[in-house]
Amino acid sequence: MQLLLKPFVLLGRGGVSFAAGIGRWGVLTADTFRALRHVDVWLRLLIPQMARVGVDSVPIALFIALFTGIVLALQASYTFTGAIPLYFVGVLVGKTMMLELGPVLTGLALSGRVGANIAAEIGTMRVTEQIDALETLAYPPLAYLVVPRALAGIIMFPVVTALAIGMGIVAGWITAIQLLDMSSADFFNGLTLFFLPFDVTYAMIKATSFGFIVTTIGCFFGFHTQGGAEGVGDSTTRAVVASSMAILVLNAFWAIVLL
Amino acid sequence: MGIIIRDLHKSFGSKVVLDGFSVEARDGETLVILGGSGSGKSVTLKHVVGLLTPDAGEVEVDGEVVTTLKQEGLFALRRKVGYVFQFAALFDSMTLAENVAMGLRRKSDLDEEGIAERVDECLRLVDLEGYGDRAPSELSGGQRKRAGIARAIATRPQYLLYDEPTTGLDPVTRAMIDQLILRMSDELGVTGIVITHDMDSAFRVADRFAMLHNGRCRFQGSPDEIRASQDPVVRGFIEGRPELLEKES
Amino acid sequence: MNRSKEALVGVVIVAAILLVTFGTLWLQGVSLRATEVEVTAAFSSVGLIRPGNAVKYRGVRIGRIREIEVDQDGELVLVRARIQDDVRLPSDAVAILSPESLFGDWQMEIAPRDRFPAYRYSDPSEDDHLAGYSIPDISQLTATADRISADIEILTERVGIAFSEETALNVASLIENVEEVTQRLSQLITQQADAFVGVTAEIQETTHEIGEAAVGVRRTLDRVNEALARDEVGEALTDLVAMTSNLRALSEGIEGTSDQFRATAAQADSTFKRVGTILTAMEEGEGTLGRLLRDPAVASELEGTLQELQLLLEDVRLNPRRYLRLSIF
Repeated sequence: MQLLLKPFVLLGRGGVSFAAGIGRWGVLTADTFRALRHVDVWLRLLIPQMARVGVDSVPIALFIALFTGIVLALQASYTFTGAIPLYFVGVLVGKTMMLELGPVLTGLALSGRVGANIAAEIGTMRVTEQIDALETLAYPPLAYLVVPRALAGIIMFPVVTALAIGMGIVAGWITAIQLLDMSSADFFNGLTLFFLPFDVTYAMIKATSFGFIVTTIGCFFGFHTQGGAEGVGDSTTRAVVASSMAILVLNAFWAIVLL
Repeated sequence: MGIIIRDLHKSFGSKVVLDGFSVEARDGETLVILGGSGSGKSVTLKHVVGLLTPDAGEVEVDGEVVTTLKQEGLFALRRKVGYVFQFAALFDSMTLAENVAMGLRRKSDLDEEGIAERVDECLRLVDLEGYGDRAPSELSGGQRKRAGIARAIATRPQYLLYDEPTTGLDPVTRAMIDQLILRMSDELGVTGIVITHDMDSAFRVADRFAMLHNGRCRFQGSPDEIRASQDPVVRGFIEGRPELLEKES
Repeated sequence: MNRSKEALVGVVIVAAILLVTFGTLWLQGVSLRATEVEVTAAFSSVGLIRPGNAVKYRGVRIGRIREIEVDQDGELVLVRARIQDDVRLPSDAVAILSPESLFGDWQMEIAPRDRFPAYRYSDPSEDDHLAGYSIPDISQLTATADRISADIEILTERVGIAFSEETALNVASLIENVEEVTQRLSQLITQQADAFVGVTAEIQETTHEIGEAAVGVRRTLDRVNEALARDEVGEALTDLVAMTSNLRALSEGIEGTSDQFRATAAQADSTFKRVGTILTAMEEGEGTLGRLLRDPAVASELEGTLQELQLLLEDVRLNPRRYLRLSIF
């Protein structure tokens, strides 16, 4: 009997701790909003964080977008050969980069890079009492640590995503004219054919929400780190997993709400 | 004014750490709290600056009840209190000078020049002159601990809390830190709480002693009184005789 | 905080903002130099046109569809477009909605009314609205030409079974007629090709192919005539088979270009009437071949096929754009 119940007990416990985690994340987020009023604390930290979250992530985001653009163009031509005119390569590269792969791949890559970085850094600060030290020096830790990171994420994720989308489209275009024997005119005809300004808005909304979720989840797991180095490693892993999942769920959410 | 701890209770999960601990550090004196590892000494100190909230009881610092203060009040209070962490807790993304200046930027009205002067002065006090541009990772354990003290005293607080300031240090450095604690007390009139299980150091700096045992205050009194104490727990601790402690528990 | 890092953050942000702004404007087709004016055209229905589709004048893209709405009284559909203001439209301009390609993209072509006088243009309620006509959605045409050659192949087979000199002359005459049709088709396409501005290389290539096929057919025919004259019936049959395959190649060529061959217009053509006459003669039992063709299945099949080809040719002549447009791919 005991053995039979065990899976359900575990499931129930997991569900409760998951809900509790979301609740605690919500509290942290709400407190972060309140901490916004300590402008004097976070303002001078914002630019360095924007450099770390955004500028330092540009190479990896562009790298991913470059190869995504190439593969999209090649696969589009492979799929469409014969039945559908090749300019649909332009349609597919443009639409896919803007609506889906640009924001989501950038978000996932940055959840690994930025989310893990934040969780590890804040986690280390937690276990070495640096966060306590901040408090004793009269710095509100949320304003000092979370606000600049969350704001940097909100500002810089769309920036990085926009550059990645541009890179992906350029990569798709070069692939189309170099490897697929298409003309630039064909490619750009396809690109513009179904383009709507909303595509860009949609991509930017997604990127902004990803920036917010990745940074706050990273901070959340960092703040709740317990134990030593092992605890930091654990938080880092969980931050990456949780923010990746959150990105995918948010992605579906926006698709349902906005499309 | 001083620091008054009244009937403090704190549990983490099912583990009771403080079970009605009361002690008082009077204005201008240095109180040494003794106790074994894990007896709740650090937890007590964290209650004093409001890093932890008690399950029951209250802490009064400088006439204000810490446990009921809102965030702004707490920040105001923390401006008067310096905290020396057990492992220094230096910010490793900053240089030593920036670490020391952190509190000054937030707590004082000094301009950049004044801050630089004060930082130099504090580093000189802990014998770390010229180390201002180093990162914490480039320092030895003793140097880090001294840097932590420099950061805590930079704002010239009225109250200083030392969490095992001499643990794990060589005798020379220990003596130096003890002198520093005495100087803070004698020259600046700082009220201090030192938690330690280093008895040599304790007797050098203490005006008064308190002993934390099983979550409660087992002993409170002057150095002479503690030397004369017949309590087996106190004797066992200061003489390093575990058999006396075991008999008691 | 060093200054260069701040500058870098600024550069990255500015780069992204510029990319988003100008990228969006460019993809929307907004030209930053030329100014645009709005034109409105009225249609009875609008087919598959939608906002964003191209507006063309003499084949040149001059703007985009901006908005489509049903007129207040529900009689007409108003299509609003923005076009470059430096394009001078003819005073009797009309708007024609047609497929730009087979894959769902439509366009609005602005042209003088007398270019396509046969269309039934709408009657706009306001003076400054252009009269419009929307080309009906073309049903997919079957490979009729392919069937023609298949029919001729069957015919050839049967001729091989029972061939006589008497019927050879009929066959020669039939082939002559087919050749004429082929030539007309080729001419027609060439003419239409010449008449249009901006004909793509593919059209020219296709026309050229058709022309070559026609030459091949003629050569074969010459040989058939020769063979008949020398009474070498067996050789003639081989050549007929060769000609059939030529014709098939031609039809495949057409099919490859258009993929759609079911006619929608309906008017007789004198050339096909002549072919029809021969068919009728055959059907009435003249000679061995005629008897052979009395097989009602083959006869009606051939007749139906020819009729379809005829309708198709007629439609090509009346609405050439529809077919020439296909060569965009």
